[in-house]
Parts: sequence; C-alpha cells; structure tokens
Amino acid sequence: MTCAELQDHYELYALGLAEEPERGEIRAHLDRGCEVCMVEIKRAREMAALLGGSAAPAAPSPRLRRRILASVGAGEHSFGWAAFLAGATALAACAAFYFAGRERQYFDEARVLREQTRNQIIQIARLNEAFAILNSADTTVTSFGENQPKPKGRVFLNPSRGLLLIASNLPQAPSGKAYELWFLTKGGKAVRAGMFQSESDGTAIDIARGAMDMKNTAAVAVTMEVEAGVDAPTSTPMIVAPLAAASQ
Amino acid sequence: MLLLPILLAIRAAEGDADLVARLQRREPQALGDLYDRYGRLAYSLILRVVRDTGIAEDLVQETFLRVWNRAQAFDAQKGAIGPWLLAVARNRAIDYLRSAGGRERNAVEFEETDHPALYIDMEQGILASDKARRVKRAVEKLSAQQRQVIELAYFEGLSQTEMAERMGQPLGTVKTWVRTALKNLRDELGAAAVSA
Repeated sequence: MTCAELQDHYELYALGLAEEPERGEIRAHLDRGCEVCMVEIKRAREMAALLGGSAAPAAPSPRLRRRILASVGAGEHSFGWAAFLAGATALAACAAFYFAGRERQYFDEARVLREQTRNQIIQIARLNEAFAILNSADTTVTSFGENQPKPKGRVFLNPSRGLLLIASNLPQAPSGKAYELWFLTKGGKAVRAGMFQSESDGTAIDIARGAMDMKNTAAVAVTMEVEAGVDAPTSTPMIVAPLAAASQ
Repeated sequence: MLLLPILLAIRAAEGDADLVARLQRREPQALGDLYDRYGRLAYSLILRVVRDTGIAEDLVQETFLRVWNRAQAFDAQKGAIGPWLLAVARNRAIDYLRSAGGRERNAVEFEETDHPALYIDMEQGILASDKARRVKRAVEKLSAQQRQVIELAYFEGLSQTEMAERMGQPLGTVKTWVRTALKNLRDELGAAAVSA
C-alpha cells in the first residue's frame, strides 16, 4: 500500500483501532523509515496524547515518588525513619546518661546515709557503754585540769567495765595525728589504752573497755601521737589524771 | 478543566532535553524530576482507565521504570519524553484492563516501544495551549456516540468490534462514528497547525 492509501488509518493506528492489512502496512512503513508515515504517525499520536489530557486531574499518594526512586536505588533526602531513629537513639542516650547520673547520685546519697547510720550506731553503743560505766556503783571519778585553761575533764574508772574519759578544751589534732590514752602503772610504765580524736568543739569521750588492774594503775595520761599509735609515749602528756583508787 | 493537566505541563516540558540527557546518564534524581513533571498527569490518565487508586499507582511505577530502562532510545538534544511517557502509561493501563478482563492484547499498544523516536519534538505541539483548546473544542463538538467511541478506544483500548459489542451497535455504525470523530479531530489539529 502507498502512503496515500494509508492516509485514513494513521489515527486508527495511533489509537490501536487499525485493522489488518492496514496496521501491518503502517508498521512496515515505519520500520523502513518512511518519512511520510513517520510524520503522519507523529501527528496522530499528538492527537491521541491530547485526548489523554482529558482525564480528570488526580493526585497520587506522596509515597509513590519514594517507591519509584527506591526501585532504581535512589534514596530521598528527607526526614524519614533514619532521622527518626537517630533522634530516638540520641534521646535514649540522653535519658540513659541522665538516669545514670541520677542513679550515681542516689547511690552516693545512700552510701552517705549508710555511713551516718553506722556512725550513729557506734555512737549509741559508746554512749551505752559510757552510761553503764557512769551508773555502776563501783565506778570512781577523777577530775583533771581543774583551774587550768585546758584541757580538763574527768576519768570514770570501773574495775570490771573499764575506763571512761570525758575531756574538753582539747585542741584539734593535726592531720595524721591523734590522741593516745595511756595507763601509767605504779612502776612507771605506760600501757597503751587506745586512740581517740577530739570533736570540733574540743570535747572528747573515750572508753578503754575491759577489767582494770586497779591496784597497779596509778594514773591515766593522754599524749598526741601519730594516728597508728605508738608503743611508748613520744611527747609530753597533755592530760595526766592520778587515779583516786590508786591513792587509796 | 478538561485539558488542565496538559496545560500545567507546558512549562515543565521546556527542560526535557536536559532531563533526557540526565536519564541517559542514569542519574536517579533525574527520574525524580521526571516524576515531578509528569507523575500527576500519568496517574490521572491511568486512574481514568483502571479506576482503582492502588492499581493506578502500581502502573505509574511500572511506567516510570519502563521509561528509565528505555531512555537510551531518545535523542537527548531533542527531548520530548513526556508524550512518550504518557503513551507508555496509557498502554500499561490498557494492558492491565485487558489482562484483568481476559481480553487479548492489542498489538498496537506496544508500538511506542518500537518507535520512541516518533515522539521527538511532539511537545511543541501537544503542549501548545491553543492547540489543546482547539482539540478540546473539537471533542466537545463530537456527538455523544462519537465521543463515546473515542473514549472507549483511548481509555479502555477497545477494538471497533469490541465497541460494537459493548454498545450493541452494528460494527459498520461504530466504524462510521470512529472515522467521523477522528476526521473532526484531525481537521481541528490541522487548523491548529496552520494557525501555529
């Protein structure tokens, strides 16, 4: 067929309505590059495309664009799951850091409270011991430092329970130093009786527990020594209290 | 309103040559730009055919992937990828209808892949608003039967025999309506070409 004979079939071809043999003829013309048919088919397809524009406008969902790009391996630079997860991770990290800090704070506070409780229990036990010595009928009392600016106080001596020292005007021991209590025997020997520290107001309470050798103890003394204590006094005693029982 | 999608694409078509070149360089973002220009138009066309939004989106995706995979067939200097894309979109949709309806494929629906070069330079005419208005007027001038056969052919891909069965009319009558409708449209386009 000639191009002229196909003239009325180009639009039919463009719309898919051409029938044989015209459809095959047009295809053959196009395959061999027939310029007339190519121009006519362009025109017919142009008309067909215009018909396509008569469809009512509609909008696809926004995710369709992402689907299409993802299908060719292209990601979208938008705020999506990755950014959301990164934000959530950062938030979780901040929360973990915050709660870890709070946990440390609570742990430290609990440790301080436990230390305070332990110290109070020790103080109560010491006070109970002190009261026991004070209330015992066989306890004797010796004062020291009277009429002196410092230090001064009393020594309560019980044969079975031990010795209670209550002092005041004691200076704060320097760092690394502490007070050491001594029993001075009648033979002139100093026997270690324990270490103690004064309070910030200069007061101190110390207890030397256990049965006392009342017959051989002439006095008690207090010296300033290193915190670990020493076997024999290395400084001049700050307190010397002759025991009343020893003089009897 | 009838031709609004095409009118909206007038400005978009101006950069098609560069877009085609980028598609041929396999730049994925070029596919995104192509979608931004013709995505709504293709979706509207396909939805008009299949009348199901989910299926329409699947077919739009197929359409753009087909164009992506066959972009090398175009002359990057001349561009004109939009009309070809719309032809592919229409054929994807009609192919779906035929598969769903158990109908045989119409051989001509695959022509666009055999001769993509025939779409070159088409947008200069297809997107000219004056010509679009003329075609719109020509469609409006068609009789109800003529307009129906054109729509059945374009949006449903029916052959003339199938249209005759659908409409309960003799095949000869349907062929007359089709030829008359196409002649009127052609005349309108011809007049537009002269006036352009």
